[in-house]
Amino acid sequence: MLRGAGIGLRGPHFDAFLEGRPDTAWLEVHSENFFGDGGFDLHVLDHVRARYPLSLHGVGLSIGSADGLRATHLDKLVRLVDRVQPAMVSEHLCWGAFGDRHFNDLLPMPFTGAALAVVSDRIDQVQTRLRRRILIENVSSYVQWRDSVMTESEFLAALVERAGCGLLLDVNNIYVNACNHGFDAAAAIDAIPPGSVHEIHLAGHLTSGDLLIDDHGSTVAPAVWALYEHTLRRFGAVPTLIEWDTDVPPLADLLGEAAKAQAVMRSLHG
Amino acid sequence: MADLGKLQGGFAQALADPHAVPAAAQLLTGDAAIAEDRLAIYRGNALANARKALSGAYPVINRLVGDEFFEGLAREYQRRFHSRSGDLNEYGDAFAGFLESFPPVRELPYLPDVARLEWAVHRAHYAADVQAFDVARLAAVAPARQADLRFRFNPAVSVLASRYPVDRIWDVNQPGFAGEASVDIDAGPRQMMVVRPRFRVQVRRLSFGGYGWIDAAARGRPLAQALEAALEIDAGFDLGDTLAMLIADNAIIDIE
Repeated sequence: MLRGAGIGLRGPHFDAFLEGRPDTAWLEVHSENFFGDGGFDLHVLDHVRARYPLSLHGVGLSIGSADGLRATHLDKLVRLVDRVQPAMVSEHLCWGAFGDRHFNDLLPMPFTGAALAVVSDRIDQVQTRLRRRILIENVSSYVQWRDSVMTESEFLAALVERAGCGLLLDVNNIYVNACNHGFDAAAAIDAIPPGSVHEIHLAGHLTSGDLLIDDHGSTVAPAVWALYEHTLRRFGAVPTLIEWDTDVPPLADLLGEAAKAQAVMRSLHG
Repeated sequence: MADLGKLQGGFAQALADPHAVPAAAQLLTGDAAIAEDRLAIYRGNALANARKALSGAYPVINRLVGDEFFEGLAREYQRRFHSRSGDLNEYGDAFAGFLESFPPVRELPYLPDVARLEWAVHRAHYAADVQAFDVARLAAVAPARQADLRFRFNPAVSVLASRYPVDRIWDVNQPGFAGEASVDIDAGPRQMMVVRPRFRVQVRRLSFGGYGWIDAAARGRPLAQALEAALEIDAGFDLGDTLAMLIADNAIIDIE
C-alpha cells in the first residue's frame, strides 16, 4: 500500500537505489520502461520492489483510442504486473494511437458520452485482465474539443461511477488546464467525488507565452502547492508523487520536493 | 456529434501531415489560428519524443553527427517511419536502412553499420536473462557425438560484419572512454559479436573464423558443419578459443 510522499524512479538514480536505501516512502516507474524480457532495468525494478512499495504508471496503453486496446501492449503490462505485484497500477485518460500509428503522447479526449462509453469499456477490459482496480489520471491539454459536453471533472466522476476505477489526480495538470482553458482549478477539484482519489501527482510546468506546458522539468510551482493543500483538505492524506522526468535533478533535490509534500500532508492530516 | 474515431482520425491526420492541421483545428474550440498553434505543439511533442527515443537507441550516431544534425535525421526518419508501439524503446528499428538511403549522410558510409551495431546493443539490453551454462555438460559429450552438437545462444547475442571498424567507433564513443580516441576508418573489415554476459552489453571483436562459426551455429547448423564454414574463410580458425570466449560471455545457454 502506498502512503505518504513518493518519487518517480528514473535511470539516472538507479545506482543510488542499488547501492543504498534513499529515504522515500514509495516509488513509481513508467510501466513501458520495463517491458523488456530481462536485463538491468528489470533487475533494478526487482531490487527496489523488495524494499519499497511500488506503483506502475503506464504512458502508452492508449485506453481512449476509438479503435481499441493494443493486445500486445496489454499483454506486456499484464506480464509486468504479474512479475512485480505492484501496490498500484495507473493509466492516463487519453489516447495516443490511431490505426497502427502511435504518437507516444498523452492526447486529450473529447468529453462526450461516446468517449465515456469507450473509455469505460477499455478500463473494464484492463481491470478484468489485471484482476485489480486501476487508477486513471487526468492529463494536461493545450486544446479542447468542440464536441465536449462535459467538463473534465464531470467526465472523471462519471468514469469512476461507470468503470469502477479510481482516480490519480494530477494537481499540476488541473492547474495547467485551468490556466490554458480559463476555468477555476479549485472548483474543478471540488467537482471530483470525495473517496475517488487514491493518488496525487505533483510536477513542475513551464510558461510559454500565454500557455502553460507540463514538462515535468522543474520544482512544483507555488500556485500548485496551494492547490495541493486545497486538494488534501478535500480528499485526505492521499499518497503523493513528485514527477520530474525532464532534466532529472540530483536525487537529493527530488527527495526534497517529496519532503515538502510530506510536510503539507502532515500539517493537514497529522 | 462526430464519433470518437472521426475526431481522433482528424487529430491524428494533423499530427502526421501539416496540411491537415486547418481541418483538425475546426474540431477544436476557440479561434482557428490559436487552435492551429496548439496543434503545432502536439506535432512538436511527437517529433521530440521520436528524437529522444532515437538518441536513446543511437547515442553514438548522435555523438558522431551532433545534436542539430541528429534532430534533422530524427525529423526525416519520423516522417518516413512512424512509431508502431506504445513502447518507445521499440522505435528506430529501420534507422540503419534509412541512413543508407539518406543522401545527406552519404559521406559517412560507416554510419549505417554503426546504427546496426547500436540497434543490436539496444535490443540486447532488453533481452531475457539466462541461466549460466554448465560447462561440464560440454565436456561430457562423447567424442563420436560432438560433430552433431547444436548450440542454443543467449537471446542477447548477435553477430555483425562491416567494411569499417565500427566496433572501434563504438568503443571510443562510449561515455567515460579515456585514451586514444582516433579511429583509422580504412583499417579494413571487422566482425563482431554483441553479447550480454549479465547486465552490461559488450561488443567483442571476432576473427573471420569466429564470425563464420558463430553465425552458422546460431542459425542452427551443427558443430561440424559450422566448423567447415569457418575453416573455409579462415584456415587458422581455432574452435576451442571461440567456445571458451562464448562460454565466458554466457553466450551459449544450451546444447543438444
